[in-house]
Amino acid sequence: MSRALTIEVLFPEIANLHGDNANIAYLAQCRPDARVIRTGLTDTPAFVSSSVDLVYLGPLTELGQLKAIERLRPYRDQIVSLIEAGTVFLFTQNALEVLGARIRNDDMSYDVPGLGVFELESTVRMFGRYNGKVMGMVPEVGAEHPVLGYKSQFSMVTAPQSLPGFLTADRGIGRDTATAVEGVRVGNFIGTSLLGPLLVVNPHFTRSLLAQLDPDSEPTLAHEQLALAAYEARLSDFRVQRRWHHFERVLPTRRA
Amino acid sequence: MLRVLRVLLTIWAVKLSALAIRALGRPGTHTPGLIARKLHPGIIGAVRHPARVIAVTGTNGKTTVSNLLAEALEAEGLRVASNRSGSNIAAGVATALIGAVSWTGRPKADIAVIEMDERSAAIILPGLSPDLLVCMNLTRDSIKRNAHPAYVAWIISSALPVNTSLVLNADDLIASSLGSESNPRVYFAVDRLPTDGDRPSGAAVDIEICPVCDHTLSWEYWRFNHIGKAYCPACGFRSPEAAYRARDVDAASGRVTLELDGQSRQARLINDNIVNVYNEIAVAAVLDQLSVPKDRIVAAFELLSPPTTRFAAEVVGDVQLVRLLTKGLVGVACSRAFEYLTSFRGRKAVVLNIDEASERSTDVENTAWTYDADYEYLADDSIAQIVIGGARRHDQALRLAIAGVDPARIVTVESETAAADLIELDGVDEVFNLHSVHNALSTGTPVQRRLRARLEGSAERESGAESNSSSSAAS
Repeated sequence: MSRALTIEVLFPEIANLHGDNANIAYLAQCRPDARVIRTGLTDTPAFVSSSVDLVYLGPLTELGQLKAIERLRPYRDQIVSLIEAGTVFLFTQNALEVLGARIRNDDMSYDVPGLGVFELESTVRMFGRYNGKVMGMVPEVGAEHPVLGYKSQFSMVTAPQSLPGFLTADRGIGRDTATAVEGVRVGNFIGTSLLGPLLVVNPHFTRSLLAQLDPDSEPTLAHEQLALAAYEARLSDFRVQRRWHHFERVLPTRRA
Repeated sequence: MLRVLRVLLTIWAVKLSALAIRALGRPGTHTPGLIARKLHPGIIGAVRHPARVIAVTGTNGKTTVSNLLAEALEAEGLRVASNRSGSNIAAGVATALIGAVSWTGRPKADIAVIEMDERSAAIILPGLSPDLLVCMNLTRDSIKRNAHPAYVAWIISSALPVNTSLVLNADDLIASSLGSESNPRVYFAVDRLPTDGDRPSGAAVDIEICPVCDHTLSWEYWRFNHIGKAYCPACGFRSPEAAYRARDVDAASGRVTLELDGQSRQARLINDNIVNVYNEIAVAAVLDQLSVPKDRIVAAFELLSPPTTRFAAEVVGDVQLVRLLTKGLVGVACSRAFEYLTSFRGRKAVVLNIDEASERSTDVENTAWTYDADYEYLADDSIAQIVIGGARRHDQALRLAIAGVDPARIVTVESETAAADLIELDGVDEVFNLHSVHNALSTGTPVQRRLRARLEGSAERESGAESNSSSSAAS
């Protein structure tokens, strides 16, 4: 039997870049019964005191990242506990970096510790924006329906190989130009730098996420035919070699 | 001595190359600047400038304001150097500045009005060192290139000379924060309009919280995106007060009241689009800062007109055919176009071709920007049909459906121009041809031609039917 979902969107007033709020808007149209809690920067997150099915944080400005770190720091241990307990998290674009060990931005003259939930470090280059496509398989939906997405970012992330990725890119780069491993996946936590918005562009993945959030009900996609048509058209284009550029390849690593 | 010689050699090379390019029938406003920067990377700062230099930047309005300022200053009898016929990146600026000196490097102009691409500020501003910088606004632009408005503000502020005076939009809390305390500044604004709201809505609002204390801002008026007049109920922070304000905007009479640093003047409204109201008050503010007498500022607006290349309307039979530039990849620009479309009162049909042409065959467009645009304007019952052409038509259709447009009203077709053939014209009062920048000629023009032909055919058939019907009645 279907039950009402609770989705918490953290700091929507500052974490709203690059159209990524549509991840939640689309999810809410797929599940019109869902309760969407929009937690402001000066509010106490709902996940602190009540049960939440999905915690979402979207793309931030550089200053926004620092504010998010400051506001979430008191709840760092609860975030760790929730991840360990299997709560679903989705952090997109540079939101993932908030949970890392360190964000270094020489151009803006800061080097700050993140929440340290994950052992990853990000380096921000304000005059080195990276734009590219990514295509890769995720276990939820298999090779037939790879996840498609885009990167538009100032930062690159490094992490130990032992930290599992959201996906391994068949095409495009991963956390940085030296790896095909993209994002982070720990339990039901997913952090990915991919824009799209991810849940709009990848209806098969969204269906699996809906099933994960509510295993007792048949997942239904909003505007399913349109979403599938858009996915198929994009997948077809992503499979054309000439649409991929040299900077969308993983470079041979020089790391030890 | 060597430095002077290098500058002179660069000037000569640029002037000769410009002559050669113009002899080939091309404008020669960009390539000479590229050559200049190759020969002398610091040429923007090394070439002698006119006695006064004004730079105009921002996401929207910089071209119009630069052109209007140049025209107004020429009307004041000044010799004006500008890049209005060239590009607004470093090469175009270099070309304009070199064009404004003699072969010996002496300034030939009294004043330079330079339109500056905001993203190029780091390259242009240190050398240009303008006496006065105008920033119209900083809103979301290309995700790939411009990232977010705060990033562009940081670029401009980082490169801004400490003595440059600023003319800033008080209704934009990002643009109005440019520079440091050392930069003298004045602000312009447009007072509350009847169409303004009291709180932000829409997809792309970049300022919702107080920059001092993070609390949610309240708004005396909210206009669009983060444009409006805000205050913080928690700490008392407020939008800056503007010495230059447009008020009592009256589209019907074509008049506006301009508050010019304490003095009111009635002026001609150069255009009733809100963007052009901001452009008008910004031009007035700059002219006042340049000590142009206030009555002559007002008189200048009797003659000045903004370019209208982004919009063209014609009446074919009983139907209004409207061509509207709807800049793809830039959600904020699309929102304004969609909002403008819905200001028409009749029953509408829309042809929508706003794919990015440059990415059509060699890349796959990232349509994330469509979720920074308020497609919700198009979920209006007065819009009978939307026909979408192009490679990303399914993404556009999905975006429209998510915005609340009834999928039954959406038609998709691969060919952009074929969209003009699929639109149903029966019973509509207005037909809109929405296209982007890079497909304006390849798609916008043939679609317009085709729509016009179809409407003329309908009008002729109707007139023929009426004529037959009257002859039947007569017989």
